[in-house]
Amino acid sequence: MRCGGSTELDALLADLGPRIRRGERVREPLPRCATGLAEIDRLLGGGFPRGRLSEVTGAPSSGRTSLVLALLATLTSSGECAGVVDWADAFDPPSARSAGVDLRRVLWVRSRQWRDALGCVERLLATEGFPLVVFDLASAANEAGARLDSEGERSSTNWLRLARQAAATRSALVVVSSERLTGAHAELALEMRPTGARFTGTPVLLEELETEAVLVRHRSAPEGRVARVHLAARSAA
Amino acid sequence: MRTACLLVPDLPLRAELRARPELAGRALVIASGPDARAEVIALSPEAGAAGVRARSSVTQARSICPEVRVQVASPPAERAARETLLDVALSCSPRAAPAPVSGGPFAGEAAVYADATGVGSLFRSEHGFATALSARAAAVGLPGIVTVASSRSIAHLVARAIQKREEVHVLAPGAERAFLDPLPLDLLEPDDEVAQTLTRFGVRTVCDLLRLPRRGLVQRLGPRVLELVTRARGAGDETPLPEARDTNTEESLDLDHPLDQLEPLLFVLRGLLSRILERLTLRGLACPFLDLDLRLSGGGRDVRRIDVSAASRDAKVLLRLASLSLESRPPDAPIESVILSTRGRPRRTDQLDLFRPRGPDPAVLDQTLAELASLCGEDRVGAPEVADDHRPDAFTMDLFRPGSVASGSPSSRKLTSLASAALPRAQRAEGERSSEGLLAVRALRPPVAAEVRVRRGRPDWLRSAVASGPVLEAAGPWRTTGRWWSEDERFAVDHYDVQVADGTVLRLCFDWIDRTWRIDAVYD
Repeated sequence: MRCGGSTELDALLADLGPRIRRGERVREPLPRCATGLAEIDRLLGGGFPRGRLSEVTGAPSSGRTSLVLALLATLTSSGECAGVVDWADAFDPPSARSAGVDLRRVLWVRSRQWRDALGCVERLLATEGFPLVVFDLASAANEAGARLDSEGERSSTNWLRLARQAAATRSALVVVSSERLTGAHAELALEMRPTGARFTGTPVLLEELETEAVLVRHRSAPEGRVARVHLAARSAA
Repeated sequence: MRTACLLVPDLPLRAELRARPELAGRALVIASGPDARAEVIALSPEAGAAGVRARSSVTQARSICPEVRVQVASPPAERAARETLLDVALSCSPRAAPAPVSGGPFAGEAAVYADATGVGSLFRSEHGFATALSARAAAVGLPGIVTVASSRSIAHLVARAIQKREEVHVLAPGAERAFLDPLPLDLLEPDDEVAQTLTRFGVRTVCDLLRLPRRGLVQRLGPRVLELVTRARGAGDETPLPEARDTNTEESLDLDHPLDQLEPLLFVLRGLLSRILERLTLRGLACPFLDLDLRLSGGGRDVRRIDVSAASRDAKVLLRLASLSLESRPPDAPIESVILSTRGRPRRTDQLDLFRPRGPDPAVLDQTLAELASLCGEDRVGAPEVADDHRPDAFTMDLFRPGSVASGSPSSRKLTSLASAALPRAQRAEGERSSEGLLAVRALRPPVAAEVRVRRGRPDWLRSAVASGPVLEAAGPWRTTGRWWSEDERFAVDHYDVQVADGTVLRLCFDWIDRTWRIDAVYD
């Protein structure tokens, strides 16, 4: 259609007024990998987002590993596969089985070198069919940071590359570490803070670990919110 | 029975060009042997245009055309080309068989017969069938002549007769006699002695031969002439063509110079693999494994099998697997020849589970696993498994095969997992707190040595790289012993769950064998 002149167009626009606006792309909510822990899932908006990089940090005994195993258990019980790149070499199969993880659906990669670990994560993200890849960098001996520094691999370009790779294949990449490493490349970051352990009974037994999960970074939700988690030790040992 | 004959008249040349496509368009002659007095048994049109003639010596060929490339005839390449012809025939017809190898002036030809009965329903007409066969042969680098006739021998004779004139010919039923009668007797491959006698008699064509009385011919030329008469009539051994059962596929290449580096070897493998996959594609098969046989300098051999979890025709994946195998275990000496083979198998179709998501593609997963193993080591990649063992930190790593898990799960597990997939974990157990999970441990490999002060038989204070300070709480000990009969493998440890003042909860153990304290896991 050809307009007769700018005055007619102006008149039409004036007539339609606010009913005309620029079109916007509808943002679909990201699919999530639920942890099965209701408080945590509520805090995260349904779980760890697929196609994004997320980070779980915390000191030893803060519940990071229990959270990741809960995530693996929920995912593998639904028949999906997950990759665990274990730079810390800390994955404990009996503990995972007790947590309900279907070990046959977990590809465990025990890399020794940081560069190899990075390559393994990239390779797993590039292989479609792994909706979750866990990259465990948390060394219980508090040496992770030192090891990363010594290998000169704190560069943010690594995380940018991994985040893009995760987005390309719509896999959830969860980095587990002692301190924040991924910076602004993480969609969300959860900091686990231990609040105490409970020993009860006669003879004395470790009953549970209490911990807090603090949302320290989230691109589309308020930060600073907290979820309290109780981790029962009854069948973990 | 209507039969097609696919004939390639210059097989040594075609086999060489198929193995070394870079020689196409050059003056090329195929020699019968490596020495200078060897005979030229086949030559390319470019060499023919330069004046080189078949049956001349290699020295003569070089003197006529100095830039001519001389290749010695390669029996393995010719064998592979013959097998490829059979694959081409089987791609169009369910029954096919190779023709017997000819001698004399037809020693360089290769032919296959294919059952052409009822092909009209698939190819509209016998001409369409012959055209399709010809096109497929040309596509794999073996252009030839295709004829369809009432018997194998007639089809073969027609193919020999029309070469250099047309590529496809269908001889209608009833037209055989008129076509065969004027053909020269040479096409029937007579013995030299019989041929000379018949020439002296003035018998030059099929028609001339068939006019003569059989009894008189046998009296003068012996019973051998009867076979010639049978061929001239278009009769002969017409047993039914067999169905194809053998799916072995092999390609090989003798290298001009020994190779000692991976890159050029991969280049050679890429060519061999593409030809193998081409043949498998013709028959609708895929590659379930690759057998690589490397002949090394000094007479050694390097034989290896490269397994593929699901039969694949993806050249990139297969080549990558071969590359990773060679990288992880390089050959001991330079390579002089390469033989690549496989046994074709129908491609596996994925049976998707109704209730479970699809896992990684098996072929891609193989490549991923191979790459991960090359990065970390084969023993450090796989599916974890809890070992049936009481030793501390006992586990095994299994081959990661998620595809075999879905249908093999125990039914009870399936039911519970389906139910659990539908509901959030927290809602599964009634009365369970929604924020409650199970406490897990992080293993320390190797265990971290600890210095522990004991008071009243319990850890009271510890110092280690993991945590240090007073012990606030301690539970245990839990004693584990085993393998007492073996001096090297026996173990006896006491485990304690302890909480240190800095908040760390860890698993401390005392080893009774070497009487040391160490931390083997942290509750996390």
